Amino acid sequence: MKITSDHFLEHADAALADPDKAQRRDLLGLFMPLARDAAAARYGDFEALRVHLKQVRRHTMEHLEHYLTRFEEEALRNGNQVHFAATPEQLNSTVLSICQDHGARRVAKGKSMVTEETALNDHLQQAGLDVIETDLGEYIIQQAGETPSHIVGPALHKSLAEIRQLFLDRHDLGERPLEQVADIVAEARGILREQFLQAEVGIIGANALVAENGSTMLVTNEGNGDLCANLPPVLIVCTTLERILPRVEDAMALQRLLVRSATGQPQTSYTSFYSGPQRDDDVDGPLETHIILLDNKRTDILASDYSEILDCIRCGACLNHCPIYVGVGGHAYGWVYPGPMGSVLTPLLTSLEQSNDLPNACTSCGRCAEICPANIPLPDLLRDLRQEESQRQLNSPRWRRGLRVHAWFLRHPALYQRLSGWLMPVLAWLGKRRGSLRTLPFAAGWTGTRDFPAPEGGTFMRQYRKRGKVRRRRG
Amino acid sequence: MAESPRSEIMARLRAAAGASASATTPEQIARELAALGFASAAVLPAADTCIAFMANVLANKGSVELAADRAEAVRVVGRYLYNRFRTHKLVAGNDPRIAAMPWRDAGVLPRFGAAENGDGAALSYARLGVAETGAVVTWTGRANPGRNNLLPEDHLVLINREDVVATLEDAWLRIRQELPAGSWPRGINFIAGPSSTADVEAQLVMGAHGPRRWHVILVGATPAEALAEAKVLTAATGP
Amino acid sequence: MDNLKPKRKRTRARRDVALMVTCLADLMRPSVGFAAVRLLERAGCRVSVPDRQTCCGQPAYNSGDVNAAVPVAQAVIELFEPYDYVVIPSGSCAGMLCQHYPALFEGEWRERALALAAKTWELTRFLTEVAPLPSPKRRPLDAAVTYHDGCAGLREMEVKQQPRQLLLQQCGVEVKELAQTEVCCGFGGTFCTKMPAISSKMADDKLDNAVASGARLLLGGDLGCLLQLAGRARRRGLELEVRHVAEVLAGTPTGPGIGDPRR
Repeated sequence: MKITSDHFLEHADAALADPDKAQRRDLLGLFMPLARDAAAARYGDFEALRVHLKQVRRHTMEHLEHYLTRFEEEALRNGNQVHFAATPEQLNSTVLSICQDHGARRVAKGKSMVTEETALNDHLQQAGLDVIETDLGEYIIQQAGETPSHIVGPALHKSLAEIRQLFLDRHDLGERPLEQVADIVAEARGILREQFLQAEVGIIGANALVAENGSTMLVTNEGNGDLCANLPPVLIVCTTLERILPRVEDAMALQRLLVRSATGQPQTSYTSFYSGPQRDDDVDGPLETHIILLDNKRTDILASDYSEILDCIRCGACLNHCPIYVGVGGHAYGWVYPGPMGSVLTPLLTSLEQSNDLPNACTSCGRCAEICPANIPLPDLLRDLRQEESQRQLNSPRWRRGLRVHAWFLRHPALYQRLSGWLMPVLAWLGKRRGSLRTLPFAAGWTGTRDFPAPEGGTFMRQYRKRGKVRRRRG
Repeated sequence: MAESPRSEIMARLRAAAGASASATTPEQIARELAALGFASAAVLPAADTCIAFMANVLANKGSVELAADRAEAVRVVGRYLYNRFRTHKLVAGNDPRIAAMPWRDAGVLPRFGAAENGDGAALSYARLGVAETGAVVTWTGRANPGRNNLLPEDHLVLINREDVVATLEDAWLRIRQELPAGSWPRGINFIAGPSSTADVEAQLVMGAHGPRRWHVILVGATPAEALAEAKVLTAATGP
Repeated sequence: MDNLKPKRKRTRARRDVALMVTCLADLMRPSVGFAAVRLLERAGCRVSVPDRQTCCGQPAYNSGDVNAAVPVAQAVIELFEPYDYVVIPSGSCAGMLCQHYPALFEGEWRERALALAAKTWELTRFLTEVAPLPSPKRRPLDAAVTYHDGCAGLREMEVKQQPRQLLLQQCGVEVKELAQTEVCCGFGGTFCTKMPAISSKMADDKLDNAVASGARLLLGGDLGCLLQLAGRARRRGLELEVRHVAEVLAGTPTGPGIGDPRR
């Protein structure tokens, strides 16, 4: 997917200027955290679960080669073909060649952020394949020619009216009311049912890979991923190295955290473990199954100080809890993954040069880290990225100079106090009538949208020192 | 010549892990993992496993009926089909347990095999029920082809009282017992609700792609009060 | 500046407390510093204000210039080492000392940073948990009050009930809670000037909730947030008085609220 993260600020301004969409996001930011909190509270010891999965994750990452090898062995034993892809291009070309080997023309896809990352659809479509997204949200944005605005609810930015118009334009089904959400769902169901039945290849992602038995866990409410995994004669699972967990029980622990954090549900409708092609006892299911394990810089991240981001389970809770994501929406972030997790992943998976605004789109409020089911210290990782930005001099030279001058003054307290003791009364005098200043030289970043509250007068240190002297004389 | 992606990735993993991790033996890794134990399960809404199971099925937007035995289960299914579809047609996998049921007593006409597009109702005999999540567990094979869970309008599931376990860990313990190493099925499915979506306006709609209704029939001697209690619990905690 | 150094002679009951004023209180709102001194003395503490204090170094640290933050942190550690307690009228600066200084160092300096962290307190927590304020002998404050929880105070320093408890005890005021009180106000240090449009949207949400609460007086424990909220409230022409909680706890304030014209 083409990255436009370097235009984050322009995207954000445009998003903030659209009151209808802004209101939809505000509602998301209000209700999703309430749903998540209620689900976590009902669980019992949710914190213990979070800590447990973190330990299992860290253990798995430490021995990733061992578990990956084990997964591969078991998956092969189950009759899968296992492919490794170091780069997005390798994943895309592997998928295409599988499709071409079978003379496939129609591909039905379940929701997969990995294939968003590799822009698989573009690749397949350029080769003449008919690729259809089957998750309702993904289907809607595919029809609209858009990208996901949220990793769990990709089309939540669109109104019913917009989707209605989109369906009327795109589906040649004659006159119909299509006024209720249920009408939209029913129409998509009818169209997509045909696609499931006709597709020669199904493509799904995986929420976890189980090393002990080589199976992949798929968690959905719609059941679209399961239809992709059961109906077409060829199944391709596109996934990444860090999805691996040792045991089925570990995958279930992840699922417990995932569903509650993502939607506030205690359980999704379908949690499935798929292990390979049809067995002797089967009367349906794919005849051939492939698993493609993508690296795309995960091994670099594993070796870096950012390895904890590999614990991310893609629940989207940090998006719902981030006031900046809620403020500007997913499209502003300019790539596949938005919000706090995206602001860490985008620089690491693309380049910091193209996306250095994202780690700055953070107030370090800590709300994401507080609720992250994978216990990822997101604000710390974002600060580390800002440090890298600063070291590599990617931020503006004026910023760096300003900070350096400030830090220099802090190390020279006498001078700092003398200068501030002189400057603050001047500012106080300037603002004495209104109590605040509407403009201030060199402070347009502040005064563009806010008044600058005038200081009270002399600094505390100067006043306190004076009072101390007075007291001493009296004593 | 370029390395294969596999060896390239494995080499990078080895480098990332460092010397100490690479030197760890599989036995040590297994011991480390065993020491981590399993997660704590969700609190059950009721002390009685079957009541908790029914309460969670209801919370998952499923419906529940009781049947004292298989003969009554046949009548329950027959009544459901008539009320919903005004027919007695049904598709079910080649599950010996389903085949052995007295379907003719209720005039039900099961077709045994895989569900097709357009089928109204499919019946599965679940292997397990999980109280913690209100899920039933099926696995793919002749007894329950994968598509039978997905294609029909309504999915009816029979589950024996004694097959309801408390937690997901208990469920996996049972699955491991019933499926010894090497006999792993193609798919193991935890089903906990009708097919649903909230992708449009965050409004929950049933029947996104698969079943619009999910009806669970608990087979065995369960007092009617237990179901009543489950309904009260679900109403109290809300969806 | 001898009078600013700690007194060596100790009485058992009096705690030697060093006040870290914070750069924003020092520069923008000295009355917060004086209020903190009064409150600590009322709680029976011997208060010192170490001279040569400037700032905790957060601007550089949060902007990614760790190299600049390290010497600032070292200076703060050295300056405050001689005291029993360090009290700060800001959750954000307290969080910097307690949570982030130790992460800046290894070895001996890390030990010193941890020792400083162990005795550093946010003001309202100190006044409820370490040196409780005596019951006041004054009239209750007659104002509808709401409270903004600064994020660092809330999440790094566990400040939540303490300011509410103090407001009830000292001023007889029950806080009218903000909707979404645990959401950030958009200050975020340098964030507010790097991304002013987003920052102001966040401030607007907070201010709208404050107005909806029916309060006339918006209090908080962090001047950064309060300058942001007051600055945006003034720009929007909202009738909302914004103050640091210490000002109100120390006695009925006489001066104007933050950013308000002089009375």
